Amino acid sequence: MSTLVSATPAVVVRSARRYRWRRRLAAGLTYLGLAGALVFFLGPFFWIVTTSLKGDSDFFAFPPVWIPSHPSLAHYVGLFTRASGLRYFLNSLTISSMSMVAALVVSLPTAYAIARWRFGGGLLGTFLLVLRMLPAIALIIPVYLMYKQLGLTNSYLGLVMLYTVVYIPFAVWLLVGFLRDFPVEIEEAAMIDGCSRVGALLRVVVPIIAPGLAVVALFSFIATWNEFLFAVVLTGIETKTMMVLVTTYTSGGTDMFYGEASASVVLGVLPAFVVAFLLQRYLVKGLALGGTKG
Amino acid sequence: MKRLALVGIALVFVAVVAAALRPGPAPAQGNRPYEGTTIRAVVNAEYVKYSLSLVEKDLYDKLGIKLDVEVIPLDAFVPKTLLEFNGGGSPWDLVMFGPSNMPDYGRHFEPLEAWAQKLKLDFQLDDIADVYKKLMLRHNGKLVSMPYDGDVHIMFWNKVAFERADNKKKFKARYQYDLAPPKTWKQWDDAAEFFHGWGWDGTDNKLFGAGASYKPSGSGYSYHWWRSRFFSYGGQYFDADMKPLINTAPALRALEEMVRTMPYYPPGVLLFESEEPKTMLVKGEVPMLYSWTSTGKRVGDARESVIVGKAGFGVVPGAEIDGKMVHRPAITPGRAMAVSKYSKKIEPTMKVLEFISLPEQSLKIVMDPKTIMDPWRVSHFRSEKFRKAFPGAAEYLDAIEKTFPLVVPDPVIPGADEYQRKLSFEITEALAKRKSPKDALDAAAREWEKITDRRNRDKQKAAWGEKLAEMKAIGIEYHPEWATKAK
Repeated sequence: MSTLVSATPAVVVRSARRYRWRRRLAAGLTYLGLAGALVFFLGPFFWIVTTSLKGDSDFFAFPPVWIPSHPSLAHYVGLFTRASGLRYFLNSLTISSMSMVAALVVSLPTAYAIARWRFGGGLLGTFLLVLRMLPAIALIIPVYLMYKQLGLTNSYLGLVMLYTVVYIPFAVWLLVGFLRDFPVEIEEAAMIDGCSRVGALLRVVVPIIAPGLAVVALFSFIATWNEFLFAVVLTGIETKTMMVLVTTYTSGGTDMFYGEASASVVLGVLPAFVVAFLLQRYLVKGLALGGTKG
Repeated sequence: MKRLALVGIALVFVAVVAAALRPGPAPAQGNRPYEGTTIRAVVNAEYVKYSLSLVEKDLYDKLGIKLDVEVIPLDAFVPKTLLEFNGGGSPWDLVMFGPSNMPDYGRHFEPLEAWAQKLKLDFQLDDIADVYKKLMLRHNGKLVSMPYDGDVHIMFWNKVAFERADNKKKFKARYQYDLAPPKTWKQWDDAAEFFHGWGWDGTDNKLFGAGASYKPSGSGYSYHWWRSRFFSYGGQYFDADMKPLINTAPALRALEEMVRTMPYYPPGVLLFESEEPKTMLVKGEVPMLYSWTSTGKRVGDARESVIVGKAGFGVVPGAEIDGKMVHRPAITPGRAMAVSKYSKKIEPTMKVLEFISLPEQSLKIVMDPKTIMDPWRVSHFRSEKFRKAFPGAAEYLDAIEKTFPLVVPDPVIPGADEYQRKLSFEITEALAKRKSPKDALDAAAREWEKITDRRNRDKQKAAWGEKLAEMKAIGIEYHPEWATKAK
């Protein structure tokens, strides 16, 4: 017994040390893996950002210039002036914002009708989602011909309408999940207190399902911002978007415009990145809620 | 405080937008006959838009015309522009296009000669390299376009590699003839083998044997690299009945040689587009490369090139047939400008086309190292200013001028782009050793038959008949026997 008693602390200490060592090793390996992943995923973006700030002589320097000694915004100025970057940037901002608002305005009442009154017999939600499964490439020629007839090519309205229609199925599907799980009693209580149905929806339901709306807003903004196929076919000089500009630099050789090409990529991803970063709290919450309650 | 900051940011943003959108100072009315006119142009890359910006100021000062240039990404350019044109309209007045796609675009362009007479325009056709004038600018016999980018391949080499005494000695001992810039494909392949894998520049670096672009994207890089060999071994695209000849003896020999010499090229060559091998040449990593003539401007640009003043320029290698050299460098594929027949501003657009094609204006475009626009006027080759632009520029321009009479155009028939892409894909399949050269070329020939049938064999045959006659007129004919004779 005494042997056992005296041996136990030694074993415990050894195993505790081993545990601590293993924990440190695991933590070290985890951080190492994370650092590797960060370098792998963020390395190219870091290179693009620094290239957009480099002088022309630094592009081909050997050893490579990782951080320019005299960073300059000259390539951004060139992009905004010579390459009409400002026009395209504002176009993207306008079209993405309008599509985002339109997607919210249309999808909220649609989702509400489906969730509360089983509008469409319970199949409408699924049917809408099927529409989302059509590849854009299959639609592009008919859409182009239709838009040409209607005079909607090279117009904000045409693009906003199209993107709204394209993103509504996902938005409705997501919001139906939120609304179905929202206790109808709270809405009824609001109506007993004098709210109309619309008032209850706007004053009571909307604030509570705000994370879901944030997800819809974010997804429609980012998807519109990044969309290329419809943008390249349906736009003209006045309405071209930032993603088309990025591709004019990155497809078919950049030649000597490495700086402006990099600046276009940075500006191409930055707004979506900023919006996602600002709304990430809602995004995670909204996705989690939608995922478990839908 | 936060609100104040937000208001401040908003004000700065509004100020930037307002400044950007503010019209420039009101131009003085005077001898600018088209004051207030804006011409809408379409091009396929930012560097082409940049090239137009080099003449914009003079254009405005002379004619009062401004340009609004739309850039459509390269890979979407042909489908998007043809979609607009085939829909019976065009939002553009001035249109850039690849001359090999003339059969698809030509009917949408306004013929130039009648307008030249009416407006007394002088396109100075006598100053244009013959091959362009005869083969690339016309549709149904009518002049409809002007060259903009004289894309042809020439050969570049690093003189250090070819002139080091030690290299010469080693080469002679191994190959039994003197080391020199290659004139034949056999010499090219020998040099690539010789230089690969060691420091031919006197360093301990492991350098590469030669550079190339073998990616099948764009209009088909590997196809452009293959066809100079193919034609110098007596090849031709089709026979008179539209039967593809791209799997015959000249084609097979050309591709087999390329496959055999693959180990002497840099790793990743199958993914190289135009710029990667150029960069390797100017960084001194490959001793030789045949590529677009714009490479020369990078070679002479001291900001990136380590071979300024140490580069040689010449005609792409060829084959010795019965004691006579046959060089068949490629036109690949070039750019031209035309006036849309749907334009509501045809007259000022004609003026713009004339203006940007003028020798002194086009010289600015082709001389600038930031454009990849290549010289196409005889006066470009002979311009004193250009010949002094960088060390070796005169030699570079002479090589281009020597190359022009030898070049082979693309198959300029409807669907040219499609034929080229299919062939390029199969060539790269062989280079990647996923198929034998014979299987790859047979597959390409089958694809070509399908395209011909789909596009109507009789129409294709008629279009090809015209091109075959034009090619015959400049001495390009099918000689399968050269494949065995060629040295």
